[in-house]
Amino acid sequence: MAPMPDLPRRRLCHVSEVNEGQARGFGRPGAAQDDLFLLRRNGQVHAYLNACPHLAGAPLPWRKDAYLSPEGSAIVCGAHGARFDPTTGLCFQGPCLGEQLRRADIMIDEKGNVFY
Amino acid sequence: MKIVGLDTLIFGVEDLAIAGQFFRDYGAIEAPIEGGLRFEALDGTGVEFYPADDARLPAAPVAGCQLRKTVMGVSCAEDLEAIRAEVSKDREVRSVADQSIECMDNSGFLLGFQPTIRKAFHLPSEQANAPGAASTRQVNRLGVDANQTIAPRTLSHIVYFVPDVAAAEEFYVRRLGFRCTDRFEQVGPFLQPMGTLDHHTHFLIGAPPHMQGVEHFAFHFGGPTDVMLNGSRFVEKGYQPFWGPGRHLFGSNWFWYFNSPFGCHVEMDADMDLHDASWRHRTVQLSADTSQAFLTRVREKWSPGPGTPKHGAYA
Repeated sequence: MAPMPDLPRRRLCHVSEVNEGQARGFGRPGAAQDDLFLLRRNGQVHAYLNACPHLAGAPLPWRKDAYLSPEGSAIVCGAHGARFDPTTGLCFQGPCLGEQLRRADIMIDEKGNVFY
Repeated sequence: MKIVGLDTLIFGVEDLAIAGQFFRDYGAIEAPIEGGLRFEALDGTGVEFYPADDARLPAAPVAGCQLRKTVMGVSCAEDLEAIRAEVSKDREVRSVADQSIECMDNSGFLLGFQPTIRKAFHLPSEQANAPGAASTRQVNRLGVDANQTIAPRTLSHIVYFVPDVAAAEEFYVRRLGFRCTDRFEQVGPFLQPMGTLDHHTHFLIGAPPHMQGVEHFAFHFGGPTDVMLNGSRFVEKGYQPFWGPGRHLFGSNWFWYFNSPFGCHVEMDADMDLHDASWRHRTVQLSADTSQAFLTRVREKWSPGPGTPKHGAYA
């Protein structure tokens, strides 16, 4: 288990609440956009900041939690259609080709709770 | 060569159901078509969606661009022949069904031209009360009805990312008779065809070739309140705003941009400036200061009252 950090972290959810091929966004209540999102691909959970590298800080989804292509094989930006590999965050098509989504610094405890 | 504006934008999409949900929630009016979905504004202009692999769809200009064709309306059949005569000097012009023709522009976007499908309709503009003004809203008529039905009124404009702005502009201006109404230096021109007074139906943005595609497209709504109220409803349904609500300087249109599943933004706009041939275009550097007169941010509940903390919820 990773050591708990000095700064208080926020519990996002339990890992079992992120289903294969789906994504979930998390942000402060009432905020115009989520801060980060989790997705599960091939069993692994990945976390990225909700910020397209094409336009600093621009939100990715077109609707709450709508980060992935319909068949789940790519993260798609709802601004200009940039596509990213869900397991690496690398943009393989679109305006920020070759750039990378920033991973979010999440922690998962021994019970499977996800913290950010 | 009186092109009056955009009639229909045709897209190839991965998921028709998602496209349908988006435009139902946007307030557009569904019009049944075979093999796809069509959503219209009150004047009958609109957007069409087909499965991306539908063999009837034209090819995408570049991988990742979901727009397959931009169909413009002209005022009469003679305009079509004028366009055919001019454009066929250096490129193929094909006749397609329903009295329409199609050709490529200089950037590789497929364009269609047809006698416009726009239907006349009559609705008041948003009425405002202002001290000293002769024209006001009628006495006892309310300015806002939170439950009012809001629908887009007409397809307004499209914004293309193009690899060569000068070449792209040349086709619209020299060949199709568009006018430049305003210009952002080192970005591109706002363009108005001859058959409308709207500040722009097209805006071109220079971008690297791999970005070619659509930045956004917009429908006109009946006024700022329609944009604010319809946009707020959209946000409540979970849609992600990108920029707005605010008001542009070039064109003066109220705006609210949203992310979309179509690889571009989709805008709601209202109250765009009208210009005729006497207008002289302005040129400025693009910046936040020159593109928006103001920009607002939503605060859900700020005042103390039922459902909010004692001191409100401003933070």
